[in-house]
Amino acid sequence: MEISEDLFLTRNKEKQHYDVMKELGDCYASTGEFEKAQQCYDKASSLGPDEAGPYIGLGVIALQSGLLDDAEMAFRVACRLDNKNAEAWSGLAMVAQKREDHERAFDLYLKGLELDADNLTALLGLFQTSCQMGSFDKVIHYLKLYLDMHPGDTSVMFTLAALYMKGRQFEESRNILGNILTLEPSNKDAANLLEEVEHSLAHARQLGVGAA
Amino acid sequence: MSNYNNGPLVTVLIPTYNRPHYLPIAIDSVVNQQYKNLEIFVMNDGGVDVSDIIDACGDKRINFINGKENRGLPVRINQALSQAQGKYVCYLGDDDLFYPNHVNTLVETLEYKTDCQLAYSDLYKVYCRIGADGSRTVLSKIVEISRDFDRFFMFNFNHTLHVSLMHRRDLLDKAGPSNESLNVLIDWDLTRRLVFYTDFFHVHDITGEFYAPLGKSDRISVKRRQNLEEYTRNVMTIRTTRPPKPWDKVDDLSIIFLTDRFDQKAGNALGSIWKNTCYPNEVYLPMPPEQFAAINTQMPNLVNVPAPMGLSYQQQVDTSLEKCQGEYIAIVPRGYPIQEMWVEDSLYPMVQGLTDEIGYELEESNEQLWVVVIRKEALVNARRQYPSLSVKESLARSGYHLGKIKPEQIPFQFDELYNQGQKFEKDGDWISAGLIYEHLLDNKYGNEIWMNSLAAESFLNAGQYDKALAYSSKVNEVRPTVDTLLVEAKAKKKQKDYSSAIGALEKAVGVLGTRQLQWK
Repeated sequence: MEISEDLFLTRNKEKQHYDVMKELGDCYASTGEFEKAQQCYDKASSLGPDEAGPYIGLGVIALQSGLLDDAEMAFRVACRLDNKNAEAWSGLAMVAQKREDHERAFDLYLKGLELDADNLTALLGLFQTSCQMGSFDKVIHYLKLYLDMHPGDTSVMFTLAALYMKGRQFEESRNILGNILTLEPSNKDAANLLEEVEHSLAHARQLGVGAA
Repeated sequence: MSNYNNGPLVTVLIPTYNRPHYLPIAIDSVVNQQYKNLEIFVMNDGGVDVSDIIDACGDKRINFINGKENRGLPVRINQALSQAQGKYVCYLGDDDLFYPNHVNTLVETLEYKTDCQLAYSDLYKVYCRIGADGSRTVLSKIVEISRDFDRFFMFNFNHTLHVSLMHRRDLLDKAGPSNESLNVLIDWDLTRRLVFYTDFFHVHDITGEFYAPLGKSDRISVKRRQNLEEYTRNVMTIRTTRPPKPWDKVDDLSIIFLTDRFDQKAGNALGSIWKNTCYPNEVYLPMPPEQFAAINTQMPNLVNVPAPMGLSYQQQVDTSLEKCQGEYIAIVPRGYPIQEMWVEDSLYPMVQGLTDEIGYELEESNEQLWVVVIRKEALVNARRQYPSLSVKESLARSGYHLGKIKPEQIPFQFDELYNQGQKFEKDGDWISAGLIYEHLLDNKYGNEIWMNSLAAESFLNAGQYDKALAYSSKVNEVRPTVDTLLVEAKAKKKQKDYSSAIGALEKAVGVLGTRQLQWK
């Protein structure tokens, strides 16, 4: 057997089998076939012992099965294998959130977003924990960052508008809701919230005039 | 083939050297072929004793050549072939394996589907991690080469794999035995000699595997390639090999080298011709035989045209023409810069039948260094009509027009674009890479399955999932591979079609986990 390797780009040579097993695990996890998913992740981690992916998958399965200790252990391994993996940190955050340790969950989601501002799981997790803690400044920052990368994502726009509303930043909220309705004129949630915002704005103006 | 026992006898050669732990797998894959009418030669090239493996196999079709000395692969191949009786011959490395349909697929092709006397299939290259006990963990199975037959490419380098070949044994009566002075590129030596007599038929089925351990390779061929000087000697030996005539499929090229004296500069020019010409040729050197004999060169294919020194260039051409055997003549005076593909660029459209031109003036040719490649018939005719004129004038006066090569006529255009695509991939510019492969497909450059696979992967990486799906499906409908199944699955997953993704991935798992695959 003789062939010049220089002439042909060697593709995926180390990770292909790993990739197949990990993808298959993800698909089985998505269809709720956790046992099969677990077998695939086990095989994937033996093929790629230094890869974080299968442990994240195992963590997600454990989390969905309510096995918080197992989930935490799996996400911890994933973080150790790849300290910059946003999904692994978000996984740990989800475990903390399930344990109602909101402060820790908030910090871990934040870590996940610092590593990948594009991580929607972390963003929504951060939003939820913010609501639970009543602190919105940081989540607003990350929502804005996310929208810079995904302009026109109306569900995130709506979340941001709601947070502005909650923080009594009515003008900002109104602008965003107006944009949503331009993009989706039939968005009833946005229309309803806008009506509420307009009402609050009018009320605030009245108070402002009265005060003057 | 309806009855696997009634087909022609097929000879399978398995050379082996110090791989007793893998050899049983290779032999096993041959004795368990669906096609039964086999004679099998296992040739031990002076490695550790493997007699017990042969005995344990107990298959009467095996002929064991137990060489006591390490004399090299070509010697063992020649030894086995001198005893072989099969109509067809195929080859297997001692750490590789055939799928059960390998022999049958190729015999069926050569018997019923083509007039070609050689057919080749595709193979998986299996990257694996080697355990302390020698066990192999499969990390990937990749079809790295799936190239349609290209004779011109084959003159320059190999594009088929030894294990994938089957050819008629009588082709070797024409082409001659393996060159026993070679120690690498043995398969290219074979295929390059065979292209003189037959086209090759590409069967796109995957019919076997060869192994590539990660890290340091134990392959003899890989180790020997590390000696660059020795490797180059092998390449040049193969490139300058001229198997016996008549050649059924190749026209010969005679290069007439013109010089008024033989000095170092002339010697260097000859060396450049030797190094930079991949098309089969002979170089004709008009000079006194005693001077020719004094030239200290090992250069093959150098032919002396006995002639006194001091002849004009025109006289040198006329004297040489009487001896030239080629259907094409290249005339090159000393001083002309010889670079890679210097003559092939202009020769290509003529030998491929892409032009009616009788010849071309080469790219760097000018009044002082007039260089031409031309059909011999036209040149002889012009010289007969106008022997007193210069070569150039005699051609013009005879009404022969010489063309100038156009960029779209030069060879290896597919390879130029393909390399560009590979470069884009390396730079992470997946969209551009995908567009290149798409262009190659749209413009019918051949290699469709290969280009569809590359396009699929590029568009997947570029985030264009619909296109990735379209291209991978085209491959998977015809001849799925692990890579294209993986692309299809990832694209389906993005579309949240998990059950289709699982279907594709389970197929891929089947390929990765077993040694054999029957797609049909």
